[in-house]
Amino acid sequence: MIMEPILQLKNLSISFDTANGEVEAVRDVNLSLQKGEILAIVGESGCGKTVLGQSVLKLLPKNSRIKEGQIIVDGEDITNYKEKKMRNLRGPALSMVFQDPMTTLNPTIPIGKQITESILKHNKVSREEAKKIAIEMLHLVGIDDPVYRISLQPHFFSGGMRQRCVLAIALASNPKILFADEPTTSLDVTVQAKILDLLLDIRDKTGISIVFISHDLGVVARIADRVAVMYAGKVVEIGTAEEVFYDPCHPYTWGLLSALPSNTTEGENLRSIQGMPPVMMDPPPGDAFAVRNEYALKIDYEEMPPMFQISPTHFTATWLLDERAPKVEVPLSLKRSISI
Amino acid sequence: MDRRTVILKKLLTRLMGFIAAMLLLSIIVFYIARLAPGDPLQSFYGDAVESMTTQELQEARKRLGLDAPNHIQYIRWITNAFHGEFGLSLKYKIPVMEVVSPLIGNTLILGGISYLVVFIFAILLAISCALFEDTLFDRIICKVGTAAYYIPAFWLGVVLVLIFSINLNWLPSSGAYDFGKSGDLLNRLEHLVLPLIVMVLSHLWYYAYMFRNKLLDEFRKDYIILAKTKGLKKVEIIVKHCLRNIAPTIISIMAISSPHILSGTYIAEAVFNYPGIGALSVESAKYHDYNLLMLLVLITGVLVIISSIIAQSINEMIDPMLKEQEAATWKKATKNSSSW
Repeated sequence: MIMEPILQLKNLSISFDTANGEVEAVRDVNLSLQKGEILAIVGESGCGKTVLGQSVLKLLPKNSRIKEGQIIVDGEDITNYKEKKMRNLRGPALSMVFQDPMTTLNPTIPIGKQITESILKHNKVSREEAKKIAIEMLHLVGIDDPVYRISLQPHFFSGGMRQRCVLAIALASNPKILFADEPTTSLDVTVQAKILDLLLDIRDKTGISIVFISHDLGVVARIADRVAVMYAGKVVEIGTAEEVFYDPCHPYTWGLLSALPSNTTEGENLRSIQGMPPVMMDPPPGDAFAVRNEYALKIDYEEMPPMFQISPTHFTATWLLDERAPKVEVPLSLKRSISI
Repeated sequence: MDRRTVILKKLLTRLMGFIAAMLLLSIIVFYIARLAPGDPLQSFYGDAVESMTTQELQEARKRLGLDAPNHIQYIRWITNAFHGEFGLSLKYKIPVMEVVSPLIGNTLILGGISYLVVFIFAILLAISCALFEDTLFDRIICKVGTAAYYIPAFWLGVVLVLIFSINLNWLPSSGAYDFGKSGDLLNRLEHLVLPLIVMVLSHLWYYAYMFRNKLLDEFRKDYIILAKTKGLKKVEIIVKHCLRNIAPTIISIMAISSPHILSGTYIAEAVFNYPGIGALSVESAKYHDYNLLMLLVLITGVLVIISSIIAQSINEMIDPMLKEQEAATWKKATKNSSSW
């Protein structure tokens, strides 16, 4: 039996109105998130992954708008929710962790107060109780001696500890869905690993669903249950982590995977995907990736590829899977590393 | 070094700096006053000075102590000043203290009330403009505020007198109180209204606009988005987060603005013939009333310097970062950091 997903995006398109014209940041995205699941959204900078995350919380600037589609949170269609209704969802339903913990905390307010603020906002508890919960939260995210540290300002904390504090704030109001927008990007590698383990641990303890936004496939491999690869505002491949990492079908995913340093043998130059992502002011009619794609077919320039189903959970948008397309093998370099 | 010695040492440095600043100020004003062309005897004897012989003038100068070289005169003055003797007013022929003391209260009342009203309204206006940023309300307030700020105070004063005193006959046009009613609070308030309006209108927008922009700068910072994900209202974010973080700036601006507002009272006093030290200092400079001028300059100097010291102390209490840096400086036990 398939459970009702906690988050559903249906044909979601988001545009920004700028002085130079309309920028289509997210185009026709369909995603769903199950309870307790970690869904990773990966892609290059500017592919729309952050916009996608922030659009669900409606944190985007005023010049953005939902052009089409629906956002359904826990069975509730929130697409047309205004600020007032959104405020009640931010916290108890949706929460977010950001990239740079050095700037996302208010520098002058003690950590404890920043945590209790959101508890007091959404729960009818006394200040003492809220403080108790805040201490528990800090304990949960692995801050030692929370009773003492609760009264410290953020500048007493290191980057990793600050990210833990941000996480504590995000979790304090017991959200159903956590958006983690590159939460480990600005941390060093050892701290990164600890924060990832912490997220997994919290998921196991609380059953929270996580949308993990990242450009780092290595990080994603460690944490995600399912992976969605985004390019130029569209999801081009989605599947379970195993499927995407071991049976990638979209040339863009091949490019991303072979660009990983671990997929390069000694003495070889690091591989990269040639070219630049398109400017989304006036996206190409066909597959936006076609110009950078060495396997591009003529139709790629003319018509948008539909989602081809590979397995019940694995979908890819590339004409290469059409029965009329020539057979294309996974690049050799990638095959080598996949088979290991 | 324990905390008490740190504070004691800090106080001592500030006191020394204060005395040094006052000495420097008195020397500069003393010399500049004497450099200005004109004869102080003119104000002492009035027109009678025309008919005095050179010898009589010489003797008069000797009696008043104006014959000695400037540095001797200064030393005499400063020694007396340390004993609380500020000499005779050349114009009023009574001790300067007696000239100033009945008027200083009037100026402090006008200046103090305008100061409070200006800043309370400036902060309230700034918050409401920031709340409704870029809406019609904000735009109208910005335009009206700028226009009001650039109306010259002396012209505005005259127009107000014309409307409220002459045409409507609601409010008195000049003075601080009606004759024989110096103890009548209501009467004093009536006289305060028009000068106060001039003071507030000619200062308010300058600060309100500054605070509005500071608030908006703060509202663009990263931590605001985290505050939003907690489900806080915009007004809560602006008051609890932004306002708190710009409080040190506001207090610094308030402190350095005290001379700005004090000098504003000089104009208001002149227009409304309000008996205060503003009008008096203009007069004392005009009539070469050296002793009176020196006392008035010292009083103004003390007010300005003390307000800046107060501002810094409050800032240190509010901003933990400042305190931190200072603690580090003290720990090094180096020579003292500059105090202001």
